[in-house]
Amino acid sequence: MRFRANIEDVATFYKISQAVEKLQKRCTVKFTESEMHIICNNDAGEGSIQVWSQIQVPSLFTEYRIQSNADNEIYLGVATDALAAALKSAAAPSGQQGAFSGDAEVIVRLVKRTEVAMLSFEINASTRLGRPVRIAHDVRVDILKREDVSRLKQPMCPEPEVHIILPPLAKVRAVAERLRPLAGEMIGMYANREGCFQLRAQTDAASVVVSWHGLSNPRMAHDPSTQRADEDDERDPKVLYGVLVNVKSLQKFLNSHVVSTTTIACICQNHCIILYVYMGEIADAGGVLTFYIPAIIE
Amino acid sequence: MSDDGEVDQVLAASVGDVKYVMGLLRGVQFGSNRATIRATSGGLSVSVEDARTLLATAFIFKNIFDEYLYNPEAGLASQDQPSQSQSQPQEEGEPTAFEIPLAALIECMSLFGNTMGSSSSNAKQRALHTGHSDDEDNQEGGPSARANPRQNTVPANGRIDQYFGGDKGAGVRLSYVGAGHPLLLLMAEEVHGPTATCEITTFEAEPIVELDFLEAPTVLKIILKSSWLRDALSEIDSNCDKFTIIGNPPPPPGRAARSTDPPRLRIQTAGNFGSIEMDYPSDKEVLETCECEQQVRFSYRFKFIAHASKALQHSTKTSLRINEEGMLSLQLIMPTARPRQAGNTDGFIEFRCLPIDEDP
Repeated sequence: MRFRANIEDVATFYKISQAVEKLQKRCTVKFTESEMHIICNNDAGEGSIQVWSQIQVPSLFTEYRIQSNADNEIYLGVATDALAAALKSAAAPSGQQGAFSGDAEVIVRLVKRTEVAMLSFEINASTRLGRPVRIAHDVRVDILKREDVSRLKQPMCPEPEVHIILPPLAKVRAVAERLRPLAGEMIGMYANREGCFQLRAQTDAASVVVSWHGLSNPRMAHDPSTQRADEDDERDPKVLYGVLVNVKSLQKFLNSHVVSTTTIACICQNHCIILYVYMGEIADAGGVLTFYIPAIIE
Repeated sequence: MSDDGEVDQVLAASVGDVKYVMGLLRGVQFGSNRATIRATSGGLSVSVEDARTLLATAFIFKNIFDEYLYNPEAGLASQDQPSQSQSQPQEEGEPTAFEIPLAALIECMSLFGNTMGSSSSNAKQRALHTGHSDDEDNQEGGPSARANPRQNTVPANGRIDQYFGGDKGAGVRLSYVGAGHPLLLLMAEEVHGPTATCEITTFEAEPIVELDFLEAPTVLKIILKSSWLRDALSEIDSNCDKFTIIGNPPPPPGRAARSTDPPRLRIQTAGNFGSIEMDYPSDKEVLETCECEQQVRFSYRFKFIAHASKALQHSTKTSLRINEEGMLSLQLIMPTARPRQAGNTDGFIEFRCLPIDEDP
């Protein structure tokens, strides 16, 4: 089993790790020849929010080498905070505070030290004065068996009623944050097929609806085996479909605003909301974090 | 926001920038106390009481709003023309009153931003209850410059900035259909931004505590810059219990003031950790006017007085009055950054507080 790569886009990898770190203590990382998958699906997480992400290898790594007996796939269990900490020291400094200049070279390897598997991050950077600095982080990992990982399944969802491109997540987050004292436990997320997206909150004191208009509803390729595709055009585009979600789950998802460029929300009424957070331009197909937030059924 | 006023609404008011109204409401918000809103053709008053001892009221005059329609008969005869009621201010019966959870209203208003206050450094200040007009330059420099760092960060062209959205709050439209209906808020921040619709639960108004200041003759009347009072309050430990105001008459005519004369205004506090005494000298720079015939001394619970400190942050001028019964009235001018039109545009906040009954 061999694995080694240069991390070319440290900043993005770091942002992904930040988004995941806030979600769960441990995550499953799956490396294949063309993609890296990060999976968080413990039910231990509050509100049982799940993340399934796929990132194309070329968008993060160069000189990527992988070899294993399981069709050249490697499955690891990683502590998210340790991963984020390692990437933090590798990430380009932000503002004045960073000690290094931005041109660090970061190599990640799967190694074995005293019978323990580690992901070893080797960072070669230089200080602002030009002196070379070498930092090494060893992140302890569990090598997972392929059978165990193959049992992890993406949640099954019905065909969503609405697909909508959300406003910039940072803005949604600002509003959601202020909505919290008015929301109690749950926030409603609603959308229709005319470009309207709503956040709703309700307590005894007040009921609040924040609406965005003029968003776009992307057309999705439908699975021809389902009947829903035919029904789609018959439904009234003005009808709002929605789910009630846990406030904390929503906030955890909104923490991913650091990586997002475009986010598509898919609402499966009374079931869940699926959020595709694209990193980089959609056209680049660099990677996507998929969040599943289950609906709270009253 | 349409002008074809919906005639079946008792109240419809809109304002392009909610910050100033929010500043007034924050000034009277303490804890989760409910507020009583009373609407008249002249504007809104928002009252909050605490322990039947303190009554804080924010007066939001109708010209603070861009649009203000009040139609008390809406529930009864829906075809009354609202323009007529506007032309005859103050000539009407009972105001329309209802209670709301004030904290929720403020949370809703701050959905699109949390910026506080709206004071602009060049807003003209205006004295209360006197025809006293101020020297504006006097306001700009001097001691208030040190004491008002927040105000000084506002650029001199603060009014112009309003029109270019420099630091603009959201626009809001309030409407109320009548008893049993929620208070409806429509908010929008920018043209393409999100909009918010908030329905705030209303309650039937309960009679609020009657604190009629004019019932007894006034014995102390002082007008001073709010920063002087604010700085004094910020010095006082919050554990203090008793807050005493002492006013002294001026030296007899024909004699110059001596340093041994008692100060015109003294504030004393006593708490678990000691006591504080603060004296205000008889200087026009400090006490703009001070009317006091003989020594006055009344004490109040500090926890009530402390409620005023939030409003003092954004106020420019304070009128402090005490009547014979010891009731304290603090009126704080809250300056707007709007261009001044005819009439009194500045809203103000009044605190009325009953004294502690002391043994003779």
